[in-house]
Amino acid sequence: MHSVEPPLLRRSRSAQLRLGLRNVYIVPTRFGLLWLAGVALLQLVAIQTRSNGTLLLGCLLLGLMLLAMHLTHDNLNGLHLVCDQPAPGFASQSVPYPLRLRSRVARQRLRLQLKGGESLVLESLEVGETSINLSWCPQRRGLQRPAPLHIETIAPLGLFVCWSRWEPSCEQLIIPARRPGPVADRQPRCFQDGMEDWQDLKPYRAGERLALVDWSSLAKGRPLQSKQFSDPEQHQYQLRPAPGLAFETALEHLADRIWRLHQRGEIYGLELPGRCLPPQRGLRHRDACLEALALA
Amino acid sequence: MKRALAWFTGCLLVLQCSGLDLAWLLSWPTLGLVLVSSLKLLEARQPADHRLVALLQLLAVGLLAAQMPGLLASLLQLFTALFALAALLAQELGGALRWRRLLLRSGQLIAAALPLAAVLFLFLPRIGPLWITDVGSGQVATTGLSPELDPLGIAELVRRDAPAARVRFSGALPVEPYWRVLVHDRFDGRRWLRSAVAQSRPPFTPAVVSATTQWWSLEPARSRSVPWDGASLPASADLQIQPDGELMLWQPPSQLRTVRLQLSSEPLPWQQQPPTARDMQFPPRGQLSRLEALAARWAALPRDVDRLAAAEAWFRSQPFRYSLAPGDLREAGLDGFLFDQQVGFCGHYASGFTALMRAAGVPARVVSGYQGGRSVQPLGGSPYLEIRQSDAHAWSEIWLAGEGWRQVDPTTWVGGGSVASREAVLGRNLGGPRRGWWRWLQWQWWGLDLAWTRWWLSFDQTAQTAWLNQLLGSNPNWIGWLVLAGGALAFALGLRVTRWRGVATPIQRTLRLLETLDVTPQPGESFAALCHRAAASHSELSVPLLAVAEAHQQLAHAPLSRRERQLQQRLWQQALRHLARSVSDFWSGRAARR
Repeated sequence: MHSVEPPLLRRSRSAQLRLGLRNVYIVPTRFGLLWLAGVALLQLVAIQTRSNGTLLLGCLLLGLMLLAMHLTHDNLNGLHLVCDQPAPGFASQSVPYPLRLRSRVARQRLRLQLKGGESLVLESLEVGETSINLSWCPQRRGLQRPAPLHIETIAPLGLFVCWSRWEPSCEQLIIPARRPGPVADRQPRCFQDGMEDWQDLKPYRAGERLALVDWSSLAKGRPLQSKQFSDPEQHQYQLRPAPGLAFETALEHLADRIWRLHQRGEIYGLELPGRCLPPQRGLRHRDACLEALALA
Repeated sequence: MKRALAWFTGCLLVLQCSGLDLAWLLSWPTLGLVLVSSLKLLEARQPADHRLVALLQLLAVGLLAAQMPGLLASLLQLFTALFALAALLAQELGGALRWRRLLLRSGQLIAAALPLAAVLFLFLPRIGPLWITDVGSGQVATTGLSPELDPLGIAELVRRDAPAARVRFSGALPVEPYWRVLVHDRFDGRRWLRSAVAQSRPPFTPAVVSATTQWWSLEPARSRSVPWDGASLPASADLQIQPDGELMLWQPPSQLRTVRLQLSSEPLPWQQQPPTARDMQFPPRGQLSRLEALAARWAALPRDVDRLAAAEAWFRSQPFRYSLAPGDLREAGLDGFLFDQQVGFCGHYASGFTALMRAAGVPARVVSGYQGGRSVQPLGGSPYLEIRQSDAHAWSEIWLAGEGWRQVDPTTWVGGGSVASREAVLGRNLGGPRRGWWRWLQWQWWGLDLAWTRWWLSFDQTAQTAWLNQLLGSNPNWIGWLVLAGGALAFALGLRVTRWRGVATPIQRTLRLLETLDVTPQPGESFAALCHRAAASHSELSVPLLAVAEAHQQLAHAPLSRRERQLQQRLWQQALRHLARSVSDFWSGRAARR
């Protein structure tokens, strides 16, 4: 499938879009032009040989082409696209962007693509509402609108390509890309390798973080056990952007550090210009830190 | 499955290609297309490749249709096109592909495109060929007729029983007709040859057909001269009567040809065309001394008619005998046949008589063609005449001043010329061992084939012009509007066909009824619950609604025996009808109150 990008295209930015006559475009594909050339050839042969069969086949192919134009258009026409609330994602990597498609009729193969992302092919679309996730690759942090959405179809015969462009208006929180590197942090009161400093073992319960599992005892043939820390309060990080680095780079390092500290179950805080998050742990705290990074 | 479909289509194409006539230039592109599409199919991975294969196959079908317009070939082509189209559709029909769905969809699409195609086919004025390509060789005749008539060189004539032509008449079948094909006017003392025919194309004149009276369906032949009765007018522009009375087809030789003729009320010009020097051409004097001596006696007679009568009398008086195996007469020559051996078939008699007439000073020529034919009555069709290669015949034509060319068949004078011996003389070997059922099937098929010829193949430019004239009468300029309006209508019809989604089920019908009452199903709501809700909001309809709900519940969930199920089905249908009536009463009552 190849997409066609005309230079002048009506920009539509909204939280939802109903595809209709004003925002759906259609042109013949290369195969469609070849088909037309084939029809011309058949007509020529029919005229030269006065063959009724060839003439009728030529007319039939021409009729199919005209019909395909409407069918391809109908395959897109009337489709309702609605933005869903997108989850935060990291910059410079593929981020899912959720959409809901509402249709009153069943539709054939559709292809959707956010510019720069992978294309999603829906083999068929049933009546009703369908949720899909499109991926795109944001380059900048902050609240970002996704790249324009390109939706196209060539069903049923591949003779015409019918497409539409839409810029979904729902913003997605984009966190700085995770890049390992130095960050400034205030020294904890007692700096040790926190994961080694456990006191006791207790049987593992489902739902506990895997980082707490004592894998060495499992390797020795004992059942799953999780480590008990006597005084986790002792290990606290207060992260700040590393001095001497570009602010954006420093934020990227912070994003990586926060991600890893959270995975290790550490306690950490974040200090940014104009914003300070006290040391804590947990998913909510991590997300608050990452959001602060995104919006800093 | 998509690949299997494409391969199957390819096999059908190869099967049809085996019937191509390679002498025709168009057959090579056709073979090329089939080959290229098969090679492309071998390496096809992407949907785009498969689409290309399908298009190539469709084009190949179109080219095949141009070369093989017969009934059987057309049926095969129809199926091939259907399968190619189904393969194309399969590329875009996502999900689990099912044969039933695919075929239904293909059929639906073709049915939708057909009205528009039919309008274009029927109404769009046609144009004749843009240029003439005649690549087939005109010298090789595969019919029983040869451009070179050399009876003396044939020791034994083997009658081929292959079919030659079929002809349907709008009126009664003629009795013992002569179908002229080739005219041999050059005589070298032994053989009769054809003069070179004019190769220029006649100016195109769309004849106005009053009524077609003969539909011919000819077996494949490379000769462009076609059989005719010598008295009809061609009804299509690609036929032309030559000055010597041959009917020439100005069309590249094809696999099967159709010819339409119409009755002419007056004699045709070729019958009055004066003879040329070729019609008097004779080998140097002395080569056929006995023949010349006999002819010299007749030359003394005053009128041509008298010379003809003298010749007839002489033939009838001699002990000539008809035989298909007269032996090689090349040594003896015509003199030997006429005066010594006196055994031969039609070619010998026509040759001998024509030579005698020329020697006696009467312009004459030999004509070969067919004589007679069998009348066949197919099931559910009108009778037609079947002509086989064994009906091939040769006779003479002589020029009589004041009358024109007269047809003379000296073979009928053989054996005394009595009516009883005529059949035997002409070698009508009807009683031979024939496979009856096979012949019967063949006749039925040819009946269909002639109908096909008459209704499908005969619809050419001339027929279309005549038809449009009849339709539009005095307003021929309306054709543009007719095409536009007809095309738009047909297109709208086609779109309707594609949007047709099958017959609505009873539940769907009920849902539509409820929708008129502003009751639409909510997520997770069962049909019965929906009916109950509708009954609550429309108390006047509660009885039929609850009945429908109950019947549906019973059918869907109750353990029923076969009898009970039938009964319940009936109750369900009744409840549905009752509901439909009640809803329409409800609306009419509401309208009345307003």
